[in-house]
Amino acid sequence: MTSPFVQPFGDESLGDNLLNRSEEMELNFGPQHPSTHGVLRLKLKVDGERIIDCYPIIGYLHRGTEKLFELHPYFQNVPHTDRMDYVAAATNNLAYVGAVEKLMGLVVPPRAGYIRVLLCELQRISSHLLWLATHAIDIGAMTPFFYTFRERELILDLFEEYCGARLTLNCMRPGGMPHDLPVGWIEKCRVFVDGFLPRIDEYEGLLTENRIWKKRTVGVGVLDPQVAIDYGITGPMLRGSGIDWDMRKQMPYEVYPEMQFDVPLGKNGDTYDRYLVRMEEMRQSNRILRQCLDQIPEGPIMAKRPRVMKAVKDGEVYHGIEGPKGEIGFYIVGDGTPNPYRCHVRAPSFINLQSVPELCKGALIADLVAIIGTTDIVLGEVDR
Amino acid sequence: MSALKRFLDKIRSATRSFLDKAKRNAKLFADKIMLLDLFAGLGITFKNMFKKKVTVQYPEERWEPAHRFRGMFRLDEDRCIKCTICARDCPIDIIYIDWHQEVNPETQKKEKLLDRFDIDVQRCMFCGLCEEGCPTEPKSIWLTTKTYELASYDRWDNLYVDMDELQEWKTRPAYTDEEIA
Amino acid sequence: MTGLLESVRHALGDTLFYWAFSPVIKIVLLLFVGLLPLISYLTFAERKVLGYMQARLGPNRVGPWGLLQPIADVMKLLVKEDTLPARAVKWAFILAPGLVVGPALIIFSVIPIGPRDGELGHVNWFITDVNTGLLFIVALATIGVYGLIIGGWASNNKFSLMGGLRSAAQMISYEVPQGLALVGPLMLGGTLSLVGIVEAQRDQHVWYILPQIVAFFIYLVAGVAESNRNPFDLPEAESELVAGFHTEYSGMRFALFFLGEYANMIVVSAVATTLFLGGWLPPFPHLLPGLAVIPGPIWFALKAFAFLFAYIWFRGTFPRYRFDQLMDLGWKWMIPLALLNIFFTGLIKLWVSGGFH
Repeated sequence: MTSPFVQPFGDESLGDNLLNRSEEMELNFGPQHPSTHGVLRLKLKVDGERIIDCYPIIGYLHRGTEKLFELHPYFQNVPHTDRMDYVAAATNNLAYVGAVEKLMGLVVPPRAGYIRVLLCELQRISSHLLWLATHAIDIGAMTPFFYTFRERELILDLFEEYCGARLTLNCMRPGGMPHDLPVGWIEKCRVFVDGFLPRIDEYEGLLTENRIWKKRTVGVGVLDPQVAIDYGITGPMLRGSGIDWDMRKQMPYEVYPEMQFDVPLGKNGDTYDRYLVRMEEMRQSNRILRQCLDQIPEGPIMAKRPRVMKAVKDGEVYHGIEGPKGEIGFYIVGDGTPNPYRCHVRAPSFINLQSVPELCKGALIADLVAIIGTTDIVLGEVDR
Repeated sequence: MSALKRFLDKIRSATRSFLDKAKRNAKLFADKIMLLDLFAGLGITFKNMFKKKVTVQYPEERWEPAHRFRGMFRLDEDRCIKCTICARDCPIDIIYIDWHQEVNPETQKKEKLLDRFDIDVQRCMFCGLCEEGCPTEPKSIWLTTKTYELASYDRWDNLYVDMDELQEWKTRPAYTDEEIA
Repeated sequence: MTGLLESVRHALGDTLFYWAFSPVIKIVLLLFVGLLPLISYLTFAERKVLGYMQARLGPNRVGPWGLLQPIADVMKLLVKEDTLPARAVKWAFILAPGLVVGPALIIFSVIPIGPRDGELGHVNWFITDVNTGLLFIVALATIGVYGLIIGGWASNNKFSLMGGLRSAAQMISYEVPQGLALVGPLMLGGTLSLVGIVEAQRDQHVWYILPQIVAFFIYLVAGVAESNRNPFDLPEAESELVAGFHTEYSGMRFALFFLGEYANMIVVSAVATTLFLGGWLPPFPHLLPGLAVIPGPIWFALKAFAFLFAYIWFRGTFPRYRFDQLMDLGWKWMIPLALLNIFFTGLIKLWVSGGFH
């Protein structure tokens, strides 16, 4: 298996001049490393401190999720989807149940739709908070980690009150929601929403204008828009390069057509822009949350669905939603039995990871850490 | 006369734009030299020194989970109608149920008796689908709330829980219905 | 106290008392009562203060409020296995931690904590007053770099070597601005002796931070870079490839490196206090003469602790500089600024003393 390494650094026409030779060293940025956000292995070819090439090796967290989907009926597969992007479980759940509903032709009642959007936006904030924590600590700023986790605890408490778990939620079912909101949940959520915006300002005060932060992130990992589209990159990485593509606006699902929010875009496509895009996304998610809390209707939470859900024979569907890391999609093929025939996941981290070798050519190793951080990968999704 | 006025206007606007640019540049200059961004960051951490700390001093203080928290199982054999829906619904097939039918000598009716109801907790992910599938009211198998401290010194204490242990688990509040929001 | 000292002086004779007994007592006190506990408790203070800044409590289990934590840490490090890598260079491996800690501790022999002929029975509150004190300090700080290079090289590990070389390059390039920044107060004080500079601050009724604010800032930044602390701690950052030069060290050897880093911090704080903040002098001696009741050493300690707090504060707030940006900062910004500072200080001194005709 050959890897596409580039030509060695240096101009060969100048001969074997001592100054011109590159001392290439192969370095293993191993699976166990504090800043690879999971078990990602990168084989780097470095010349001194500059990276010449980078070859990611994944598969250390492969659990055969897509095969597991085929063994059980549709509604039992929801816990498996939690564990792919374990940081943002609700959006995974939503993508899966959305795909199943499309396949079966189920219509979700409006209250369930609002609860789903509430959970997804809370999950988006929580995922971005974790991203900020790990990105900042990789670059060296220790305190945003603790401040963001303080807010994340509040969100996880809200999830716990709703569905009983904090991280692997299992909170949606094909056709609606399993439980209704408990008493007092909406008030608690409102307390969180009202108190969250000053916190984002606190993180921004620590990082956004800080000259050291800017020096580490401006101009690092510049992603050309055309290259991004060619690779199929979605999410804040794409929007940081200036392309206006957000599934919630382009192909709306659930109750997003009724929500008013803006989609932040970056200008230069570097790490700093992606950082600003994600911070602004948190603010916009807060805005959506407020609208949801105000507009949530009463009503049933589960659609009328058959006891045993059998799919149409040879029915296939793809349903993609905007997760915090990009477009997460499920491609399900049904074969007339209660179990899916094939269920493939379009994992955004897997596809965004393709850009890392591109972005880190010519960068220093310290920049590589920033680049992995800004790609916001979760290995559970990459490896499934 | 109007030419003079236009001339004066031009001078006025030129000076105004020059002053604005000078003010902006001076501000940028002062910002960079006076390290205001760094001091802003220092101020934030300093203020946080005096704010409330979020540490929970475990084990003296314990975090009380929510009402719906999915903790450890409990089984109630009397309520259980041995429908095995929970075993069927489990995504990882860790519930093992054996039952047989017998004629009850008192009521002369056939009824089901439970031989084995074991849960392999090694692989359980506490997803709650078994509880959701249970058709009895109140449920016969449920995930007790507020039981999250499941550590033990012996591997076999907790990893494979059989019928008796499931019923005599620590006395914790049982799952009940509650009002909706 | 004074009577006891008098009787010892009679017994030993003047020369022996002033040249052997007194310094030995001071060194013992300094090391065992002053520095070593201070360094251990500095690690504890750092964890506590950093924790408080990060909305959590620091260690608070061992002893009341966690005060026995450093003792627990020291005991743990003492009983850890003492590894020696297979093909490491043994003599260098053993020598390196000593080369880092030794100079840092030796520098304290010239730093005055209190005045000459001061409180508690006309004691000189310093071990010795070398009249080229500043030069001595800069020279010893430079020796400390050897320990890093030797430590990184002796580990027979290419990552340690890389980390050690980066660390050494960083320290060497910040030696220059540090030295140049020290020239400013030197010019104002007129003497290289540290005691002399503090006395000059007392006689001129101004702490040198005010006329030399630029030099103060440069010295502080260079000091942070010298001790490999955040925001200049790339060579030893955990999230980078290597754990720096001290990857292969464990147990007490690692503890010595660690101690050396904190000792460097204290040295920089102490020197900054002496040169810029007036050493043992109380603030506003004319406005608030009552403050002179508090003895000099306490003032010195307060000011040095303020600097140590600043160190911990920086660690909690700032991200890390990348290595080339770090070198950029040192060579392209700090050195020209320091040179300009010297130039202007000279000009102003010349003007004030009427040198321009």
